[in-house]
Amino acid sequence: MTLDPALLARLGPLQVVARKVMEGVLTGLHKSPHHGQSVEFSEHKEYAPGDEIRHIDWRAFAKLDKYYVKRFEMETNLRALLVVDASGSMAYGRGAMTKLQYASVCAGALAYLLSRQGDQVGLCIAGDAGISPGVRDFLPFASSATHVQELLRMLEGSQGRGTTLLPAALDFAAEKAGRRALVVVLTDLFDATGEAVRALKMLRSRRHDVLLLQTHDREELDFPFDDPTRFLSMEDERQIEAQPRQIRESYLREMRLFLETTRKELARADVEVEQIATDAPPDRVLLRLLARREAA
Amino acid sequence: MLQFAHPAYLWGLLGIALPILVHLFNQRRPRPLSFGAIEFVLRSQRQKARRLRLRQILLLAMRCLLIGAVALALARPSLKPHGVQAAAASGPQATALVVDASFSMRYRLGSRTLFERARAEALATLDRLGPDEPATVGLCAGPAGFSGGMGAPSFDRLAARRLLQSAQPTYLGSDMTGCLAAAAKALGESPVAGKRIIAFSDLAAHSIRLDAPPPLVPPPPEAPAGTPGIRPNVVLVDAARGSDLSNAAVVGTVVRPSATLGPRGYEVVATIANSGAQPVSGLQVSLKLGPQTVAKGFVDVPARGTARKTLGAVLPPGVVSGRVELARSELQGLDEDDAQDFVVHVPRDLKALIVDGAPSSLRARDEAFFVEAALAPARTGGRIHAQTLDADAAANVPLDGYDVIVLLNVPAPPKAFSEKLRQAAQQRGAGIFIALGDHVDPDAYNDSLGELLPRPLHLIKTAAEPGTSGAEDHAARFGVLEWTHPLFRVFGPAEREGLESARTFRYALLKPEGQAHTLASYDDGAPALIEKAFGAGRVLLYTSSASRAWTDWPIRVSFLPVLQQAVSWLADALEQRQPAVAMVGEERTLSAAGGARVEKVLGPDGQPVTLRRETSHPDDGVVPIGAPGQYRALIGLRGVEPREEPALTFVAALDPRESDLRRVDEAELKAQLGGAGSAQVAASAAAAQGAHGTPLWSGLLLLGALALLGEGALTRR
Repeated sequence: MTLDPALLARLGPLQVVARKVMEGVLTGLHKSPHHGQSVEFSEHKEYAPGDEIRHIDWRAFAKLDKYYVKRFEMETNLRALLVVDASGSMAYGRGAMTKLQYASVCAGALAYLLSRQGDQVGLCIAGDAGISPGVRDFLPFASSATHVQELLRMLEGSQGRGTTLLPAALDFAAEKAGRRALVVVLTDLFDATGEAVRALKMLRSRRHDVLLLQTHDREELDFPFDDPTRFLSMEDERQIEAQPRQIRESYLREMRLFLETTRKELARADVEVEQIATDAPPDRVLLRLLARREAA
Repeated sequence: MLQFAHPAYLWGLLGIALPILVHLFNQRRPRPLSFGAIEFVLRSQRQKARRLRLRQILLLAMRCLLIGAVALALARPSLKPHGVQAAAASGPQATALVVDASFSMRYRLGSRTLFERARAEALATLDRLGPDEPATVGLCAGPAGFSGGMGAPSFDRLAARRLLQSAQPTYLGSDMTGCLAAAAKALGESPVAGKRIIAFSDLAAHSIRLDAPPPLVPPPPEAPAGTPGIRPNVVLVDAARGSDLSNAAVVGTVVRPSATLGPRGYEVVATIANSGAQPVSGLQVSLKLGPQTVAKGFVDVPARGTARKTLGAVLPPGVVSGRVELARSELQGLDEDDAQDFVVHVPRDLKALIVDGAPSSLRARDEAFFVEAALAPARTGGRIHAQTLDADAAANVPLDGYDVIVLLNVPAPPKAFSEKLRQAAQQRGAGIFIALGDHVDPDAYNDSLGELLPRPLHLIKTAAEPGTSGAEDHAARFGVLEWTHPLFRVFGPAEREGLESARTFRYALLKPEGQAHTLASYDDGAPALIEKAFGAGRVLLYTSSASRAWTDWPIRVSFLPVLQQAVSWLADALEQRQPAVAMVGEERTLSAAGGARVEKVLGPDGQPVTLRRETSHPDDGVVPIGAPGQYRALIGLRGVEPREEPALTFVAALDPRESDLRRVDEAELKAQLGGAGSAQVAASAAAAQGAHGTPLWSGLLLLGALALLGEGALTRR
């Protein structure tokens, strides 16, 4: 069964929607010849003064006659930070969901998935000023069920408004992610400063695994307007009157160029990009994404 | 000025409001939309804003143009020359196309003649007429107005086209005023209310009578009496398009004997006219006899004036055809009037033997004194060579070589001389002139000359004794004279008195025997001059003396021409009266002498001319003269092969007015045609559209189609 966004929109709270999407993904994974993402790997660290005695791997001492501290269980757990753009432009969407709602569903489903396999999940709501420039809200890493519920509540409570300060939010995320982590950025990347791509690349340069879910409304991709329209910016005071039919060709060219340039530039920086439209079933999108990551 | 055939369609111009409304609708206040990707909208709009604005304006213009052009085209607009509007009636008009086919339309202007231009423009005008407009075509030439007449306007365009296409210019003059009046009359036969005349002409002043009433279309027959005529719209198209039509022409040629040039010397006086605004200098004039140029000269002709040039030449005897020709290098002008033909009958030289019957050492008393004086070379131009012998000497000379033998008071000649006279007259056609005197014995004369005499002499009558008192009152005078005879033809009515006043004191009475023709008789009825054909020759008997012995006629001025004519007449070398020059467009009746019939007349091109026969004179030929040049007649008796008769040769000349191409004043012409309200003088074919003007609808449709294409191209983008 496909989880159509329109259907999801009718399901109610984000917790329900996100769980439904997560279940859809899991169903897809079971049908898949792959068995999901494995993050297991081991690591021993030679004991040094200051290390917890209780963490000494006595079995290894028995074999090797050296003290090794068993660290892998704790340190190989995935730390995933979901960065959701809640700027004004993400509030656009005249269909079943706004871009922000769609991004929230995807983020919530990912949070379920990650916490289900024991990974820690954090959330950063990017937007205008909040707890930090460009960060409206932040939820630290955790993997408990209550944490996920808290994360979902935060997502549901976020509203798209204000200007995009994604670079600042990404810097904040890089700071909070600490060591290597999976950073999932859900945004339309409509950044007036043009610094968002640079910030993503910077994030990747800090050895974070960066996944960009570039979310757009179908109308932004197809520009299907006919009547004379005064286009109002959702983030600032800009506005313009235009004949959509007359500028459609030019608009689509510009949009294609933007998407293509973004994708290529980030691909060169080893940033995985998934460009999605809000009319696509989110479970399919996530399934495709996970399958691709496993194949890689 | 713009005119519309169907002005109701102009309401369609309101349709232009539609694209304007669409444009304004598109410019209406747009609905607001908060849009995430506004950055791309801004970029696109920046790129296309200027182009889009221009495109919108172009689109609006194309749509307005499309609707406007279609609406205007449906209204069938036409462009009329200024001034025609007032005269133009709306709706269809019966149209008369009048093409000037006069000689002046042969004027070459560039590569075409005025007539060719006029014909082409008339054909184009015919094509432009509306389908509901009947038309008629007439060629204006000659005094009769239209050659071939002008029928009622009809819709038979094919016939009208054929008539125009086959039309050729004539050598005739034209009466454009009469043609316009006739065209107006023809228009009266059409039921169509609108009336229009379009005339194509050189607008030469000579063809238009400014004092004539303007052309009027007669009212319909069913109209009540007293209904005034309708004034038609008249458009006169200037085939020359305002060009100055300068032209030099030979407009007159006079040929006359010139004593200073010797025997058969003639001078040809050519009158050359210049109708141009600039004087012509050094214009070469040539006198040609056949292909040979015998004299040449140069003449200066003032602007709008004439000049005469006299050229002399010694002409051969007989009928001489010649031509006076202008040598001109200009490419434009009238060619046909640059030369004029002439025909002159040059009498042949003749030799006369004067037999003096009463010679005297005193010249004044010599019997041959007056005759010699009359035939002196100074008085005959050297044409008559006279030799005087006394009777004895004359009897011993051979008479061969003499054309005329003049016997003056000669005693009855011996039989041998008489026989020689008889043979000369009968066989060689020599002429014999016999004058009497005291040496003449009637009976001896009758015996000696016998049948040579027109009538036998009877006796000598003395009307009065010369020198006695009252003799002049009793003397005989000429009573009846045959003035039409060549001997007396030179006498005009004013000069006849000089002949009638001569007094004759003594003369011979003749016996009423024989067949002779009395040319003159005295007041008592007795013959004075009597002639008789004898064989191939003639004998002329003067019943009195050629000296002052019996009459005072020899001392009167009338004696000299009669004697000269008599000698020429007898020698069949009479100086013919020069044939009058005929004018093109006239008719000339040719009558052959001696009961012969004018069988054929060859025109200037050598082709036979169709003759007209009068029922009263079936042998005469009436020659319609259609072209300038020389006309030669062939005559013949029935059953005999026709031969050319040089005496009937004549020359036809062009009407000199046709060589004057000065244009009529346009303002005066318009006034004559009824004023600018109903008359228009157009300078071009396009302006000659008359009430219709130049149609614009096809161009408008093309414009509309282009606008449609442009609109489509702009919309697709």
